[in-house]
Amino acid sequence: MADQSSQTQSFADQVRAIPGGEHLETCYSCGTCVSKCMIQQKIEPEYNPRRLLHMVMLDMRHETFESPTTWLCSACDLCYPACPQEIHISGVIGAVKQLAVEAGYESPLETVSVEHSLCSGCGICVMTCPYEAPHLVEEEVDGEMDRFSEVDANACMGCGICVAACPMGAISRPGVSNEEVRVQISVPESNGAPRMVVFVCDWSLRADADVTLLESYPDNVRVIHIPCTGRIDPEMTLLALRAGVDGVLVCGCAPGECHYKRGTVVSSCKIGLLNRVLEQMHVGDGRVRFVQIGTQDRGRIRKEVDGMLEHLATWKEAA
Amino acid sequence: MSETKPKLAFYWAASCGGCEITITELGMRLVATSKKVDIVFWPCLMDFKYSDVEALEDDEIDVCFFNGAIRSSENEHVANLLRQKSKLLVSFGSCAHTGGIPGLANFYDAESILERVYDTAPSVDESRGTRPTPSFEVPEGIIEIPTFYDQVMTLDQTVEVDYFMPGCPPVADQVWNVFQTILAGELPDKGATIGVDPKTNCDVCPREKGEGGFRVTEWKRPHEVDLDPDLCFLAQGVICCGPATRAGCGLPCISGNMPCRGCYGPPEGVFDQGAKLLSAIGALIDTEEPELVAQIMDTIVDPGGLSYRFGLANSVMAELKYRQRSQESDT
Repeated sequence: MADQSSQTQSFADQVRAIPGGEHLETCYSCGTCVSKCMIQQKIEPEYNPRRLLHMVMLDMRHETFESPTTWLCSACDLCYPACPQEIHISGVIGAVKQLAVEAGYESPLETVSVEHSLCSGCGICVMTCPYEAPHLVEEEVDGEMDRFSEVDANACMGCGICVAACPMGAISRPGVSNEEVRVQISVPESNGAPRMVVFVCDWSLRADADVTLLESYPDNVRVIHIPCTGRIDPEMTLLALRAGVDGVLVCGCAPGECHYKRGTVVSSCKIGLLNRVLEQMHVGDGRVRFVQIGTQDRGRIRKEVDGMLEHLATWKEAA
Repeated sequence: MSETKPKLAFYWAASCGGCEITITELGMRLVATSKKVDIVFWPCLMDFKYSDVEALEDDEIDVCFFNGAIRSSENEHVANLLRQKSKLLVSFGSCAHTGGIPGLANFYDAESILERVYDTAPSVDESRGTRPTPSFEVPEGIIEIPTFYDQVMTLDQTVEVDYFMPGCPPVADQVWNVFQTILAGELPDKGATIGVDPKTNCDVCPREKGEGGFRVTEWKRPHEVDLDPDLCFLAQGVICCGPATRAGCGLPCISGNMPCRGCYGPPEGVFDQGAKLLSAIGALIDTEEPELVAQIMDTIVDPGGLSYRFGLANSVMAELKYRQRSQESDT
């Protein structure tokens, strides 16, 4: 069926036929979307939604499917309010991606995998995923029906929100698995200076200077890069405190600017709940802090890190 | 003949007696077992004194089932005594395993608890500032009572434990399984958690997940909802500890249309059950408005008591608190 229709329909027609793809032809290639896009700025200079839409209209099917733009768009929709034509660009790219998957192309991203022997099939990952990548399946294992989660690698954007949400630690993503993050949580003794871990979502730092600044802090400030603050789980934060760290600063995107749609809100809820329990235990003291840095907030990371260090120094002195 | 019978001991420290009831729930199976073993100490059911235990040789008790948390000097003393006299010490039930309900006292300290009990509780007519006095002189001599500790500890934080058996209480069928395993000499390596299943309660829960999924804009308490007996509690906006709780209980609460309360503790590989539960609950939040996050969190009454209901004494949270305290008292 698909083959037949692809012979009679142009590539652009096919994209338009998928919900989200219908706005394709209103694009007049102004490029405002590109100027807003964090992917283009941060990881892939070749990333270009404007060009992708143009390629679709020029019937460049295979080039479109192979383009990083097709796979990297996380539907953060920072470009959407900026588009003068009100094109929901991530919707169009999503339609292109759907056709690419149907044509047998695979996502080049690092994606998550579920260890079935650990998965209890609770469905938390299914519910928290911004991309509907995990789903529960039932299969007969050793004569008994077993329910577990499976992840559609082409839908997964690798944000790690599910890795943190999984109560069994059954989900991992190369680079940010529980083990890989845990080994980074160690801060050397530093002559009485506060020891601090900064979990930073790199999408939240728009300016290169801010990224470089983080590298300039001495050893008592351990910076751990994560794809999204949704990857942070309270257990990880507690393990940092247990390891002798004085404070944990979690830096995420501003409300509405999360690169993975709901990571920021999920993280603010988790850290918020953790802080409420720490308060109940009388061990809060502002030692765990969640801040949200907007795309316009150049230089704010310095204020946040310095502010936290100052707070921790005062706290240590009082203790 | 009697020399070949294994010697068993049962003890309750800071506990409610539910762990003893679960053993009596074995019914005729207990009667049958009692012919195969010698019970040398069981204060709840039989008349023994601590001096009877003191009179035993070291390691003379084959297996001691110890329930209850350690919250007084008496609890600690008997834990040490039974450790010395027992070949195998089993941490029996949530209180011994992870602190259980008594462990919730770790949200407070000894003085504020005593103040509540003796001064400010609604049942106190007139506060006289009374406090328990560990040692008191009367004409007949000195009367001593145990010291009430500031921190509730697990058995494992007090003495070396060989096996862990969670549950509030451990369900009778699992107790029976463990008895059989012991009598058959088939216990796993020391340090293991026994009488449990490998995964979490969600693995064995028959409830449907529901069509609409379960992202949540408001958490409700069980009494606020007309609960559907076939639908996942989370899908009904009610927090269930099942996703972060080890299976093995046979789901008595869930079958009774009440969410899991978490008494079987964390599954293998999880350090802090409460933190994992908070992570899972936080992951289900459904809003894009940052100002609504706090409002949704406000619908969780007592997040600490909910997520650490049975595990507070054993949590990283408690470790931080008491480490901080000891550092403060050092300086």
